[in-house]
Amino acid sequence: MAVLKGSAERRPLGDNAKAWALNAPAIAVIALLVAYPIGYSFYVSLQKNNLKRPRAKRFIGFDNYKALLSDQAFLSALKVSALFVLVVLGLTVVLALILALVLNERFRGRGLLLSLALLPWAMPGVVNGLMWRTIFDAKTGALNGLLQQLGLIDSYHAWLTSGSGAFLFTALAQVWNTLPFSVIILLAGLSTIPSELYDAATVDRAGAWRRFTEVTVPWLLHPLLIVLILETMNAFRAFDTIYVLTGGGPGDATTTIALLDVQTVLTFTDFGLGSAYAWVITAITLLISVGYIGLLYRKGNFEV
Amino acid sequence: MSTVVNVPLRYRIPWKKIVLYVLAVGFALYLVLPFYWIVAMSFMHEVDAISVPPHWVPIHPTLENYLGFVRPNAAQELVGGRAVSETPYSLRNSLVVATATAVLNLALATFAAYSFSRLKFRGSQVLLVLYLLTRMVPGIAIIIPFYLLMRSFGLLDTYLALILSYTTFALPITIWILKDFFRSVPRELEEAARVDRCGWFRTMWTVFLPVAAPGLVAAAVFAFMTAWNEFMFALFLTSTKAAKTIPVVAANFATDFNTQFTVMAAAGVLAVVPPLALALLFQRKLVQGMAAGSVKG
Repeated sequence: MAVLKGSAERRPLGDNAKAWALNAPAIAVIALLVAYPIGYSFYVSLQKNNLKRPRAKRFIGFDNYKALLSDQAFLSALKVSALFVLVVLGLTVVLALILALVLNERFRGRGLLLSLALLPWAMPGVVNGLMWRTIFDAKTGALNGLLQQLGLIDSYHAWLTSGSGAFLFTALAQVWNTLPFSVIILLAGLSTIPSELYDAATVDRAGAWRRFTEVTVPWLLHPLLIVLILETMNAFRAFDTIYVLTGGGPGDATTTIALLDVQTVLTFTDFGLGSAYAWVITAITLLISVGYIGLLYRKGNFEV
Repeated sequence: MSTVVNVPLRYRIPWKKIVLYVLAVGFALYLVLPFYWIVAMSFMHEVDAISVPPHWVPIHPTLENYLGFVRPNAAQELVGGRAVSETPYSLRNSLVVATATAVLNLALATFAAYSFSRLKFRGSQVLLVLYLLTRMVPGIAIIIPFYLLMRSFGLLDTYLALILSYTTFALPITIWILKDFFRSVPRELEEAARVDRCGWFRTMWTVFLPVAAPGLVAAAVFAFMTAWNEFMFALFLTSTKAAKTIPVVAANFATDFNTQFTVMAAAGVLAVVPPLALALLFQRKLVQGMAAGSVKG
């Protein structure tokens, strides 16, 4: 009995050592290039630290964070980011759900549409930004040209010069870029719904709408939550497209927190304040990801 | 009488089909038209591209915008000349950095993913969550210390700085994708090899990895695309044509007020072709990986 128990315990122990040895390189890289920088970034956020004034560098505790509460640029950026997340998320989820439902049907050209849906996903955020810049342009843009030829507008509009206009059109550009990711996740969720459920609903003479609300939606709840969480994080840290499309303007109408942070660091070389901004972003993101991981955990994705 | 009843039945309007096709066509246009426009513009002369009303197709198609990258003409030298002349270098830089990132990622992730797919070990769940959490860390949170770190090592404006940072972005994703792919490889294959007295490394090389090859390719493509598309770190870490990647140069076009839209469009098209080609080529595996890991963000 004792011998049996001993041999049963020895094998997992060998596996333990082997597994950790296999993970060692990846852990080392992550520790050095993620964990250490994050810790160091917190340390910098407690400093007065501007590259242009190296001699003024000193430890100031939580002063950078305290200053955030009355920092108009920060508060405005936080508001813009929150609004941006709401608009982008709302549009993305509705559009992605419709497109996923379409792609879940059988029809001619479905394969082509699926390939087309990958196009925005493959596009770098920067290219996405400059693409929409040429389209939204006030004097020569394709949007103006199209709307005028369709007779919807009389003369060319400067879509990006008003604060609310710039905000809305930036959100639209972002939605185009992030849509495919949500579509793929929702489509994967739809494909797991057993067709018997629909058959049963049809036998019960349930109409299309009732089949949707009573079969599709409950089954899609989990993938929808994943989409909500990941797209929230995405929109919250959106940078590339906005940087190229509006640069945060006009004024600070599209200056999200990520944009403000980069300006603070790159333009004003204020590393202390920039790190404090970064830590606020990190804290919010981590809160969201705890929810995400909890979800995956419940779904059983962590069964090893 | 019966015909009167039958006719409306047989010719009932197929509403579902109509709605489906209208939506499909609508989405197809929405997805493809914006991209079509920069492709079309990239083959136009500036005059045609900015005409009002617009020409929707290049009426005098030209390669001038693309050729300008290798031998800028006088006008291009004058306006936005730097971005134009830096474009070929940045394409090379992006290619090197993205390829190196993909290779380094595979090397690191294969071992880790294998441990999750084949070994039972203490702490495996915690480690898996930790990897995922790393993925959630916003780039902006580590960019400042990363910049300072690279500066103190004298690595600013080098490939290595970019490769290292992109590896940290892509590694958790790669591990998650590979772990799922590896699990679908039947264990019997390795057991057969073990019976034949193959050592562990030989089993990996000659039996396991070849079978898992499609997964490895998908993971490599993910890592390549992550590195190719990344902008913020490249903006911080590079400053000259020695290491600037294509997104940085493309952004230079956009922030320069003198830029010709046609040249900017051509640079954009060049930047999007490699990731797009990969996405279409490996469509099925990528979709599978995205859905399984829900990972790209």
